[in-house]
Amino acid sequence: MIDTKAKKILSIDLSRKQSETKSFADLNTFIGGIGLGLKLYETYKEENPLIFSIGPLNGYFPFVSKTCVLVNNDGVIEDIYIGGGLSLRMRFAGIDALVIYGRSEGETVLEIQNSQVNFLPLQEKINDLGLPGKKSILTFENDKIILDGYFTTPEDFLEQNLKERKVGGIVITGTEIFKPENFLEYEKIYNEILSRSEEMSVERGNYPSCSNCPMGCGKSKVGEIGGNVLIHSLVGCQFADKIYTDIGIVFSCLNVLGYEYTHEDIENLPGLIEKTLKNLS
Amino acid sequence: MAKNLKATQEDKCNGCELCTLESQRQLKKVGLEESLIRIFKGESENSYQVEIDPRVSVLDIEKIKSICPKEVFEITEND
Repeated sequence: MIDTKAKKILSIDLSRKQSETKSFADLNTFIGGIGLGLKLYETYKEENPLIFSIGPLNGYFPFVSKTCVLVNNDGVIEDIYIGGGLSLRMRFAGIDALVIYGRSEGETVLEIQNSQVNFLPLQEKINDLGLPGKKSILTFENDKIILDGYFTTPEDFLEQNLKERKVGGIVITGTEIFKPENFLEYEKIYNEILSRSEEMSVERGNYPSCSNCPMGCGKSKVGEIGGNVLIHSLVGCQFADKIYTDIGIVFSCLNVLGYEYTHEDIENLPGLIEKTLKNLS
Repeated sequence: MAKNLKATQEDKCNGCELCTLESQRQLKKVGLEESLIRIFKGESENSYQVEIDPRVSVLDIEKIKSICPKEVFEITEND
């Protein structure tokens, strides 16, 4: 069942090797991605967190394939967006955000399946962890983060952060199934959006694609940094801005999944984010 | 004659998983669990493996074939 009333957060304390999943109804107004991530950053500020967050449409609709990562870079909170299949796996793991804090004693790999977390010693066979076809693997290759064997990040903020925490990799598997109540309408909207692929402001290519995107463009490999607040709260692809800045489409998607966001919620989002940023500074 | 879906151009697969998600939608669900088509990362950076459960033939395989942006699939017929 889709929980449209609250955000489900998986927090991981590396120092104590403990994890906890909690649902927060009061986080719903932050929608997801950068909005949700910043609010969580404020909540966990004392812990110097690393946050991965997705939006309400990830996993459900085409071109909404990014994962927002908030990371502290020498006192500056950077927001970066990774492609690949991670957002889909987080959706099907049933979590809206992953909050990582503390520091491992030894090099550690986090193996996550839905809400369950295993803290494993860093091993060469990280590719054998998780369930085939339902997992995303974030690991290091030549000092650079590689997601799903191809996608990476702009700059080196995430790499530095994970190294400081002694996290050598994250494997996340999602096995949950969701059934939108009005499935016929959901399928209709899905197909309508997919048919708008020519509105993407990026050329089709022969590169690996993010999950739920047919483009195979050459831009997705290195991810994104900064940009449109609504797109990055949903967390869509910046090259799908013509589609996901169309408020009618956004509401159709949210409504068919059962979300009760209003125009005011969308309009208030930039203000909420600004206020959160002020609190953080 | 029974129709089958085959990944005859697997080397062209870009890993987008649109086929997987389409097959799941035809079963009225969203997710990866118990999917009749699964995409695995291959050994090299740009390669993927497509695993098809034969039971996929009960679905609208024309639609699954057509949703693939790289024309990975063909539909074959058995006597």
